[in-house]
Amino acid sequence: MSSIKNESSVIALLGQPNSGKSTLFNGLTGARQHVGNWPGKTVEKKEGYYTHNGVKYTVADLPGTYSLSANSEEEVITRDYIACGNADVVCILADASQLQRSLFMLADYAGINRPVILLLNLMDVAKEQGKLINAKKIEEKLGIPVVPFTAADKKNYAPFYTAIDKAFTEKRVLNYEGLKHAYEETIGKIYQEIYDLMPREGLDEYSPMWLAAKVIEGDAPVIARVKNALDNNSKQMLDEVLNKVKGGSLLTGECKFTWIDGILQGAVTGKKQSPTLSGFDKIATSKKWGKLLAVVIILVGLIASFIPALPFMGIGAIFSWLADPIRDALTSAGAPAFLIGLVCDVLINCIYFVMSMIGFVFGVNLVFGLIEEVGYMARISYSFDNTMARLGLQGKAIMPFLVSFGCTMGGAASTRVIDSWGQRVLTIALAWALPCAATWSIVPVIAVAFFGGWAPLIVVIVFATSFLIMFIAAKVFGRKLVSEEERTGMIMELPPYHKPKWRNLLRSVFVRTKDILLRALRVILLVSVIFWLLTYSSDGIVDNSIIYKIGKTIEPVTQFFGLGWQTFMAFICSAISKEAALGVLSTLFTGAGTVFSSTIGGGSASNINEILVASISQAEALAFIFAVTFNVPCIVALAATYQETHSAKWTAAMAGFYIGTALVLSCIVYHIGILIF
Amino acid sequence: MQKLSETKTGETAFISVVEGDTRFLSRITSIGLTIGSQISVIQNVKKRPLLIYSRDTIISLNKEECRKIMVEVRA
Repeated sequence: MSSIKNESSVIALLGQPNSGKSTLFNGLTGARQHVGNWPGKTVEKKEGYYTHNGVKYTVADLPGTYSLSANSEEEVITRDYIACGNADVVCILADASQLQRSLFMLADYAGINRPVILLLNLMDVAKEQGKLINAKKIEEKLGIPVVPFTAADKKNYAPFYTAIDKAFTEKRVLNYEGLKHAYEETIGKIYQEIYDLMPREGLDEYSPMWLAAKVIEGDAPVIARVKNALDNNSKQMLDEVLNKVKGGSLLTGECKFTWIDGILQGAVTGKKQSPTLSGFDKIATSKKWGKLLAVVIILVGLIASFIPALPFMGIGAIFSWLADPIRDALTSAGAPAFLIGLVCDVLINCIYFVMSMIGFVFGVNLVFGLIEEVGYMARISYSFDNTMARLGLQGKAIMPFLVSFGCTMGGAASTRVIDSWGQRVLTIALAWALPCAATWSIVPVIAVAFFGGWAPLIVVIVFATSFLIMFIAAKVFGRKLVSEEERTGMIMELPPYHKPKWRNLLRSVFVRTKDILLRALRVILLVSVIFWLLTYSSDGIVDNSIIYKIGKTIEPVTQFFGLGWQTFMAFICSAISKEAALGVLSTLFTGAGTVFSSTIGGGSASNINEILVASISQAEALAFIFAVTFNVPCIVALAATYQETHSAKWTAAMAGFYIGTALVLSCIVYHIGILIF
Repeated sequence: MQKLSETKTGETAFISVVEGDTRFLSRITSIGLTIGSQISVIQNVKKRPLLIYSRDTIISLNKEECRKIMVEVRA
């Protein structure tokens, strides 16, 4: 963590969700950012840099949290990062349009002895609302640079740069005497007793006042650290005082807001937000129409997301046209067949495959980023809170679920708006159970070929099963991912509607899509090369490939699950691309093309139905339908899942769960099928 | 004194007691709800979270959570 410190001056951005932290981060660093994980954690770590007047500044985008308590991993990471002195200057962002509430972060920070500046962000929104804010007055009371600011307006960053320069030279620390006074007044004797027991010098950058407040709040990690520094006698005294404290966060919270009110006194004038719902919000939050409106908007968004996807698909198509000329060129240059196969089949097909999918991810991120930015997402969350709570999820989870009916990868990518990591992972785990567009393109085909008029029934059963699997997955994954205590119901602000900041939105969506693109490409190339080697045979006949030999050898086992070696192989391929299932079967039964190209490239014989019906039994077909539907959605979804969860462990657990589920289901329906047919 | 979950749309109330564990208390404080806070109930309907207005913000609060908050309704 401290390695970066020697390189350049470090600025840490701190603020509640919706304070515009990411906008500022993107605005400052542009493309010069690095996204990774905090060491040993699943929390995303974002760093970037910018240069101003020849000085290089590293910017750390700390996780967006509501406070600096120990409620989540994000909060502990955030405060430890600051307390260990990793940042030279901390920049706190507050939402100027809701200043009183959003200054809570500043109040929770007060007492940490690290130079700090305060940005009153979203000044444009505050102005629109008719609020006037006198930053100079606030600055006088706090003793640190206070900058009225609009992070979305990149042309007007000069006051920010000036304030940062000032903070680096003057190294001024927040004046928290007023807060200390409030603690002494309101909490009184208990505060004083605890304060007197705190280490005189504080701990790291934490002052005795900050420590005392956290101890009163019942903050376990802080209490443990403080006790570590105390002798036995003092420890006992501390325990005795603490026994007298009840609802400590309420006591300190009251003091913090008293302090905030004092600071804002005379500094904020003008209109307040109206305590009533606007006409649109009355519908958006109505019991009758709220859900319907949300579903319609999400579905329209889903369709709209194909529009920005088209250019990407076009680029992908160019690559696929290049395959033949490159193949010809390589052949005439006398390159070995093995190399030609690797370049034309693996590399070009992979790029085509990823590009055609990434376009949709870009579209989904853009459209749903927009819904989030204008503030409507909070209304969706409100309408679906009760429904989703049954699965242990927030109302926002409805959106990834609906997107997953189109594309699981898009669904995984759209979980970005869910603020808790555990809930995000759980949402993805459940979204995998929902049949995506590719499933819809193959299940009815097979069902009609084998079951004729009964096909709709099969489709309905598949659909019902996917809901059953969702509930099972909710139980299996929910217990570990979202603990009982974390299942706090919704406590969320309904932000006023904003006009979207297109430039910023596009910038952040591009950065995000690029990350997923690179990761997906890496995963797909790796898997493809392995897969290609397994299916490779020098004479092009399937029977001579390694995968055929493996498939044949384990056929006695797979037959128990209802799958012959051909259907089992198609099942394996469907974990790479679901559309592949039919193409691979077509290749295996007709001997035309290669397994590899039909997996990545798609396409199948036109008389696939007749071929299938002639080759496999009804029971096996039924088993195959279930096996393919509940298999891992596709390799790109896998990559997107890893991208969003930051956890290889949980991604692997999901893959294992769904492969297992697919096989168990195919086994069950196969044996039922044998009885019926 | 009554539970916040039992208040009616349009009522104005003051928070008098908040029950719950450290995590809940710290979360509810960080969104601006403390003892003595004035709140207006914007919407309270069945099977939906409450919508309240406090400290210049509209807040959506789960019913279960609202049962832990006791308020004094202003007549």
